[in-house]
Amino acid sequence: MAETLTSGKLTIRVVICLAVLVVVMCLCAVVGTQEISLKKVFAGPGQKPGENIDYEIFVGVRLPRVILAALVGAALACSGVILQAILRNPLADPYILGISSGAGLGAITAVIFGITWNFWGGSPMAVFAFAGALGTVWLVWFIGRFTGKSQVTSLLLAGVVINAFLSAVIMFLTSIAKSDQLRLTIYWLMGNITEKSLSVLGVSAACILAGIFALFCISHRLNVLTLGEEEAKGLGVDTTKTRAAAFGLAAFITAVAVKLSGLVGFVGLIIPHGVRLIFGPDHRQLLPVSGIIGGIFLVIADTLARTVFGQEQLPVGVITAIAGGPFFLFLLAKYSRKVSWLK
Amino acid sequence: MKKEWYAIALIWLGVILFIGVIQLISNHREPSQSVVDISNKPNRIVSLAPNLTEILFALELEEQIVAVSSDCDFPLKAADKEKIGTFWKPNTEAILAAKPDLVITLWFEQQKAVADSLKRLGYRILTLKIEKIDELLTAIQNIGTATDRKAKANQLLKNINSQLNNLQLKLGSVNKVRVLWVVQAEPLRVAGRNTFINELIQLAGGENAIGNTLQQYPPIGTEEILVCGAETIIQSAMGKSDIAEQQKAAEKFWSKWEHLPAVKNKRIYVVEPDTVTRLGPRLCQGVELIARCLHPDIFAQKQNTAQ
Amino acid sequence: MSIIKVENLSFGYRSKEEILKEISFEVTSGTFLAIAGPNGAGKTTLLNLLCGLLSAKAGSINIDTTPIETYSVKELAQKIAVVRQEFIPVFDFTVVQVVSMARTPYLGTFGFESQTDKKFINEALEMTDTARFSSRPLAELSGGERQRVFIARALAQNTPILLLDEPTAFLDLKHQVDIYDLLKTMQQEKGKTIVAVTHDINLGAQYADVALLLGADSSYQHGYAAEVFSAEQIERVFGVRGFTGRIDREKFFIPLGKFAKDSSQIGRKPDSSA
Repeated sequence: MAETLTSGKLTIRVVICLAVLVVVMCLCAVVGTQEISLKKVFAGPGQKPGENIDYEIFVGVRLPRVILAALVGAALACSGVILQAILRNPLADPYILGISSGAGLGAITAVIFGITWNFWGGSPMAVFAFAGALGTVWLVWFIGRFTGKSQVTSLLLAGVVINAFLSAVIMFLTSIAKSDQLRLTIYWLMGNITEKSLSVLGVSAACILAGIFALFCISHRLNVLTLGEEEAKGLGVDTTKTRAAAFGLAAFITAVAVKLSGLVGFVGLIIPHGVRLIFGPDHRQLLPVSGIIGGIFLVIADTLARTVFGQEQLPVGVITAIAGGPFFLFLLAKYSRKVSWLK
Repeated sequence: MKKEWYAIALIWLGVILFIGVIQLISNHREPSQSVVDISNKPNRIVSLAPNLTEILFALELEEQIVAVSSDCDFPLKAADKEKIGTFWKPNTEAILAAKPDLVITLWFEQQKAVADSLKRLGYRILTLKIEKIDELLTAIQNIGTATDRKAKANQLLKNINSQLNNLQLKLGSVNKVRVLWVVQAEPLRVAGRNTFINELIQLAGGENAIGNTLQQYPPIGTEEILVCGAETIIQSAMGKSDIAEQQKAAEKFWSKWEHLPAVKNKRIYVVEPDTVTRLGPRLCQGVELIARCLHPDIFAQKQNTAQ
Repeated sequence: MSIIKVENLSFGYRSKEEILKEISFEVTSGTFLAIAGPNGAGKTTLLNLLCGLLSAKAGSINIDTTPIETYSVKELAQKIAVVRQEFIPVFDFTVVQVVSMARTPYLGTFGFESQTDKKFINEALEMTDTARFSSRPLAELSGGERQRVFIARALAQNTPILLLDEPTAFLDLKHQVDIYDLLKTMQQEKGKTIVAVTHDINLGAQYADVALLLGADSSYQHGYAAEVFSAEQIERVFGVRGFTGRIDREKFFIPLGKFAKDSSQIGRKPDSSA
């Protein structure tokens, strides 16, 4: 009989991928510019700071970074899957509909106007970037709805318009920024994984995981959505609602990721693509697997970013770009016969 | 349909508020201040910025310094210390490996994040904001208190103040020279009046050729250059390339504006950057360097350099 | 029992024009209705109105005695399955994945197929003879095979009504006949109501019980297929001359243009009267 995806099969695959993720995270937490020994780590914290540095480095610096990288990678990869489904385009990425320029504008605004309040456990740049990203997404959706019932083309057009406008504003603000403010913003926008407090990690994890779970619940409808507006309606899917829910959730988890780490590029574009080439386009599987593999990818990329040049730490966005390109080419070459639209 | 939109929006708002409340609560629970604890004399100090390192050396804490950021180059012994990443991106792991009992950082975002991480692990952090001369003086005092070098700190402050006073005396009631301070050649950016460079200029008997501007380091156009009437143009050397070369390049660049007094009288100077762009204990050297450029006649007469 | 009831339906895309003007007809459950007419007469528009994609300007449409506006998208999908022109989806879903999408209106929260769903899917694949390439992506199939896949999908949806928009447009003769045979079997064995928009008068006349002939001037004819597809009607509505012939009880119509070889046949009445 014909092969279909069952919940059993999916669970097994997801569990295996999760196991790989955990292993990778542990391995990467052991690697870094300072050598540490796991035995000392397990000895527990010292009486006062400085007694057991191995523990401090592992628990205070590496673990938070590795967890953060996994969360951001998962959020961006899942968001990429969703945007590619909504826009029916395998080359979409999570930033395409205004999130990147919105986040950038938020970040640079916070810096230029010298806002210093620390709230919601994030620096002012992060929080404003979050607000900017969501605000822009809402604006794009609103304009899209206004001009054409939120159909794909109108969304894309609205996204292009907003991106253009916001980029102009960003350019203006950039021109009046102080050099060190500027450097700060650009650096932040390049994508960085840093150590955050447990409470920030906890809340962010809750948000991202909840978002991914909600997206999983509508992923079978996303399959149908990719067939086209008319076909989807004929199969009982309320296209506007589904698109709105998917877009909103994807934008939310992307905004959380951007707030945590700036604009890390490439993950949201290549991971869904690569996973789709190997596992097929069924979103019930594509979504969770992409998320986990996105996490693995970013954990490894961040580990490279912080060890490859010794003391000099690279922004993780540099590694994702350098590593992502060739990796994707390799996948493409190997599996290209499966990809129909390339022919 | 509409009702569902409202419901969704309300739920989102609720979630965000909920998260905000949790954050507020957790923020309060975290230890909020880097309390300057003077009970222990710190023996292992890490400095994350070149000017902080200079202050520490000036307070005779050379032995207590265990690690510095990689761009700390003065005094020369600073370059021999362990490195813990750059000024822009300090490496937390390396800092931990140095087992500090006091970490001194600057106030901007990247360093603040590292400071927060260390604070969470229970380390003693001193964070300073040094963007103006009086902030520098306060910082010297704070560092002195934190490292149990109050006496030395006060001495240092006295020295700085007396040197500045001597300089003022020497300059007397000289006419203020109009200065254009170039921060970047292309596009042309200058230091405005709201910068510490402006403070240095004023102490050196000068006046910024540019009026009040919105930005601290505004890019200026040809019109402003023509109108500013700068009598001296000063540029701090950039990068590691030869100063003499940069001097020649600057003179060539400015030769276009032959009507400017500075160009006519050949008063274009490229100066060593460290004493004028780093707000540190060599403040007076920096001011004097600028004063020499602005009032060469006064300094030519006297042979002794006040140091 | 009329499963589709259309009363005084009017529709136009722009406010002044009216493509469909006060059309009324009923479709009894379990019949095969063919909708034909020249280009621009509104066949596809009517189909889109019937499946809820468009809203009528005036008049009403009742599906299974309930007005169509009261149905949610999901409920309507459980009553009506639509087959349009085959296409290759952007993402390379396999045959079985595409056919499985038909069960969307019936799936639970996480969207996994139950045993019942799988039964319908497999049956649909068997009936359309697409089971043998069920794990191949659609891009690797021929046009005819793809069209069968979309029909399989409509069958798996297990709805009482099937709407088809020119299901055999680009297919070869064998496939055309195969698909109509399949549709007729669905009607007769499963009691489905088939509504097919077609350009092919002859196939329509061969398979349909009732027909709706839409004219470009918003006029329409509704009745038994044999009556509606008479030579006079066809010549009038389509504005073309032709030859009507008869084999047993099967009538056929062949349009004849200026360069037809034996022009003496034009206008000749069929041998035995209707």
